[in-house]
Amino acid sequence: MIDVWWLLILKVVGIFAFLVLVTLFTIWFERRVVGRMQHRPGPNRVGPFGLLQSLADGLKLAFKEDILPRGVDRWVFVLAPVISTTAAFTGFAVIPFGPEVSIFGEQTSLQLAEVPVGVLVVLAASAMGVYGVVLAGWSSGSTYPLLGGMRSAAQMISYEIGMGLSIVAVFMAASTLSTREIVAAQADGTPYQLLGMDVQLPSWYVLLLFPSFLIFMISIVGETNRAPFDLAEAESELVGGFHTEYSSLKFALFFLAEYVAMVVMSGLAVTMFLGGWHAPWPLSLWGEANTGWWPFLWFTLKVMGFLFMFVWLRGTLPRLRYDQFMHLGWKVLVPASLVWIIAISGIRSAARDEGDRALWLTVLGLVFIAALLGYLWPRRRPVPPATADSGAGGFPVPPLDLVVPPNPRAKRLAATRAGTGPASGSGEGADDEKEV
Amino acid sequence: MILAQTVAAAGPALDAAPALAAAGDVSVGEQVVFWILAPVALGGAIGMVAARNAVHSALFLVTTMFALAVFYVLQAGPFIGMVQIIVYTGAIMMLFLFVLMLVGREASDSLIETLRGQRMAAIGLGIGFALLVASALTRGLGAVSAQGLEEANRGGNVEGIAAVLFTRYIFAFEVTSALLITAAVGAMVLAHVERPKGMKVSQKERSRARFAEGSYPGMKAGPGVFATSDSVATPALLPDGGESDRSISRVVPARGLTSAEAAPKHTER
Amino acid sequence: MAAEVLARSLAEPAVLAADVKLPDIDYLAIAPMLVLFGAACVGVLAAAFVPQRLRYRVQVSLVIGALLVALGLIVTVARAGRAVATAGGAIAIDGPALFLQGSVAVLGVVAVLLIAERSLERGGAFVSRASLTPGSAADRDQAEQPGATEVYPLVSFALAGMMLFVSANDLLTLFVALEVFSLPLYLLCGLARRRRLLSQESAVKYFLLGAFSSAFFLYGVALLYGFAGATGLGALRKAVQAGDGNTTLLFLGLAMLAVGLLFKVAAVPFHVWTPDVYQGAPTPITALMAACTKVAAFGALLRVFTVAFPVGAVDWRPVLVAIAIATMLVGAVLAVTQTDIKRLLAYSSIANAGYVLTGVLALSAAGVAGSLFYLVAYGFVVLAAFGVVTLVRDADGEATHLSRWAGLGRRSPLVAGVFTFLMMAFAGIPLTSGFTSKFAVFSAALGSGQVTLVVVGVLSSAVLAFPYLRVVVLMYLSEPAEDTPTVSLPGTLTAAALAIGVLATALLGVAPAPVLDLAAKAVQFVS
Repeated sequence: MIDVWWLLILKVVGIFAFLVLVTLFTIWFERRVVGRMQHRPGPNRVGPFGLLQSLADGLKLAFKEDILPRGVDRWVFVLAPVISTTAAFTGFAVIPFGPEVSIFGEQTSLQLAEVPVGVLVVLAASAMGVYGVVLAGWSSGSTYPLLGGMRSAAQMISYEIGMGLSIVAVFMAASTLSTREIVAAQADGTPYQLLGMDVQLPSWYVLLLFPSFLIFMISIVGETNRAPFDLAEAESELVGGFHTEYSSLKFALFFLAEYVAMVVMSGLAVTMFLGGWHAPWPLSLWGEANTGWWPFLWFTLKVMGFLFMFVWLRGTLPRLRYDQFMHLGWKVLVPASLVWIIAISGIRSAARDEGDRALWLTVLGLVFIAALLGYLWPRRRPVPPATADSGAGGFPVPPLDLVVPPNPRAKRLAATRAGTGPASGSGEGADDEKEV
Repeated sequence: MILAQTVAAAGPALDAAPALAAAGDVSVGEQVVFWILAPVALGGAIGMVAARNAVHSALFLVTTMFALAVFYVLQAGPFIGMVQIIVYTGAIMMLFLFVLMLVGREASDSLIETLRGQRMAAIGLGIGFALLVASALTRGLGAVSAQGLEEANRGGNVEGIAAVLFTRYIFAFEVTSALLITAAVGAMVLAHVERPKGMKVSQKERSRARFAEGSYPGMKAGPGVFATSDSVATPALLPDGGESDRSISRVVPARGLTSAEAAPKHTER
Repeated sequence: MAAEVLARSLAEPAVLAADVKLPDIDYLAIAPMLVLFGAACVGVLAAAFVPQRLRYRVQVSLVIGALLVALGLIVTVARAGRAVATAGGAIAIDGPALFLQGSVAVLGVVAVLLIAERSLERGGAFVSRASLTPGSAADRDQAEQPGATEVYPLVSFALAGMMLFVSANDLLTLFVALEVFSLPLYLLCGLARRRRLLSQESAVKYFLLGAFSSAFFLYGVALLYGFAGATGLGALRKAVQAGDGNTTLLFLGLAMLAVGLLFKVAAVPFHVWTPDVYQGAPTPITALMAACTKVAAFGALLRVFTVAFPVGAVDWRPVLVAIAIATMLVGAVLAVTQTDIKRLLAYSSIANAGYVLTGVLALSAAGVAGSLFYLVAYGFVVLAAFGVVTLVRDADGEATHLSRWAGLGRRSPLVAGVFTFLMMAFAGIPLTSGFTSKFAVFSAALGSGQVTLVVVGVLSSAVLAFPYLRVVVLMYLSEPAEDTPTVSLPGTLTAAALAIGVLATALLGVAPAPVLDLAAKAVQFVS
């Protein structure tokens, strides 16, 4: 179905506005939530509850001086944030955020473009988005951004594989690559006979394909460059990483791109694993829940849930070391995805042969569990017996029974009291003593 | 936003494309996109050869690949178009960039001809070959109308590709895995340096070395600072060489540290 | 229960399952390839998991065992008289395919014997760690270490790819097979233990030019698909016969396809890589390329032109005739000027490609049979010749410059005698396989009226005899110089390879009838 032109433009503008507004909200939301987690209020001055803080910050950023450092590659330097932002926005074009509604008398579905390979469009957009980061790092012509860009390049390649593999399970379950049809496939549960009763089984893939969901969640954190995987901009190691040399609006664009990418990835996760715009269980009992504009609300709420998870991760987890990060991507996520896909294929072919089904399933299940356990079994290294000077795991740390050496001042103070020391500074000394 | 609009425009085009293409027709939208992107693709290809800087070269190539991907999408092959973006522009060219960044931005080809006149001959022959192929194809394909698209995409583009891949070309598809294994083994053989045990320094060993006897575990003074001490008790020097009282905390002089106490502390031997 | 829930929810839609059905695959017919591919995969795993000291033995026995099993299977299939196009018509297992697969397997065994030799030089002909910078301290340290064992799985992959290449009945399968056997060869070329830079240069040259020719090949496939609407060779023939297609696409596509194939057989405008690559690659790998790659490439060339394009022969034959003539002449004349034995053999292999092309261009059953026989006979001679080259060595490795061979006949008469015999076989002296094979292709060409080709062939053979005889003269009639290298005592493996090569050369010269009969019986293509 082809929309009329003004409806297309309306949708494009609407999605753009939605993403920008959600970005502004998320920045505030993140600061408030992290603040609460750290026992402090967070921004609370501008507007009610500090809601307008991000708007104020954005305006300030726009009026800052735009610095173009000497030695940058001008074209690429300017192009990089544009690529980043464009790619981030593009992904949302295929995500459905509601069923058919009526806009000014036109029946249309709440989705900009329905493409038969919808999910791949989002992946392609995120793949292009990396160029922004990598090129920003390279074109800055200085060391920290370059390191950030290189990390980002390796990171994206690694995590895209895990992410792509985790999505394969959804494709297999839904038999389609189209976002709209994936949502439709999660609409109804499968009827199942349990103890003589008809039970409606859940149809959201988060329950059906939980391992995929887990891998996907971890991967999108890596894909969006968010903590604890924000190695490309790790401020404690690389100053600002790829955006160290950026300022003013160009920096703002990167900022925007990061948050929009978060929203898009959350939208994709909702679409693929949480039933898209369908109302969650207690609400779905209400007959009107999945009609009209209501689903837009459910969708937004689910996306908010994911955004909260992003913030939560950032608020609680320390940043990974680079090699640990690569280890996780290549040696845990990718093999786990592969095993899981093979397991699903096995289950499918077992479902086809009705005869030996039980046998098949048992064997497959056992093999799968054994493989997974064998792989994920924690490798215990023998802990060396603790000696006097071996600290945690052999690293030199201060001994626990450390005796603090006496303050050299103590002698002098005693001398002062005895009247032999210098007269000046004795008042201060007395103050200090109180503090000590 | 450009891309979003392209996708938006392509969405309807995809629905309509099979019917039009089967009739040997090209929609106006497809023509417009083609005439916009064809020069981009061609310019990218030329730029890739002509650019002096390797990273610019790679970027031009990315442009060309991206334009081609849009062409695929327009020609009712959305799957191959997206895979082109994800795999080629997304992963492979990214690896290229990664390597170029490792090599460094100053790396460029030497432009010395070892065979005289080689470059001119190559350009001439290349242009000649391109003209030959282009004119032959123009002549050969000028009056040809597309056929079979509707049939190929009958059950959907992805399903069509899957059906061909897993029936007629199943053996070629499986054998491709041999190619991939060979490539992986080759990369290991040519690039992997197996370090003997002991040559690799772990974080633990580095840490030990730093705190070993006789070494200096603290922060070193920053560049450009001629410091004999990094103690807070050492005052900064004024331009005339004198000591600045304001550079140290008020309480520090009261401690009256000796110079030995203020000197950098090495670990005990 | 959870699994059952999954199964129920994941049950595939009926529409898809009904539509897509795996084509029937005749597993026995493709078993030889599967065995080799399997052995290669196991070899890769062995490289990772078998302890270092056992790896060499395990790998060598794996490759040779797999080749022998494959050979047995090929014989079984041939005995059963099968001629099928299987796997959806993508693979044709017919007379020529089985003959060529068998040849690849036999020649492959001999080549692997040369590759596995480790007594001539400590650690064998391959470098231990190719990643080290040539000339660095670490590189000098590894001079004594055993060579990389990843070579063997790579060789298995290459041989399996060659077997697929000669039986591929579909242009896309043909392309994949081309890549499968080329990629390992590119890698193997860069792994020589001595003269690392030369070896790496040859690998890069081969890779770049090979990739370029593959691009031509693929473009040709695309154009031919545009012409016929299919990639199967049988469908192509039907489309050419129907004659209502677009001939511009046909000829352009055919030309580009031919470029890809002629590059692999090293025919003349596309031959420039040959001397450099043959010289730089480790000598056993050069032997493998000269024998097996040639068999595979000509097998595919025969199949493509005989099965798919017999109808348009009037149009393309003159072009290929010109190429064959150029190949014979350029190969022969440039061989005269060479001073390096490996380069000399490279140019001779170019000229020999021209002779096989003569057989192919006869476009008759006798021509196919002659070409098949030529490929086998030439394969044995060239393997043995490169085997001798690995023996003549000094402190710096192989002594390949011709001047170093002066007086070799007096120092080591046996090796010089063997080499003389091989040179005579190259030159086509009667009672060697060189004579019978040349006779087979030239008579076939005469039989279908290609007089020009035969005249040029005989003339160029006469020219080519000069460099061969010059080497012989050099070995016997020159005084041994101070620096004439010693001839190493061949290890068991090389000795076996040499014995097989020389014996086959003599047998095929004295009593060629069984193999000629076999080749004559194996000329029927299916599609």
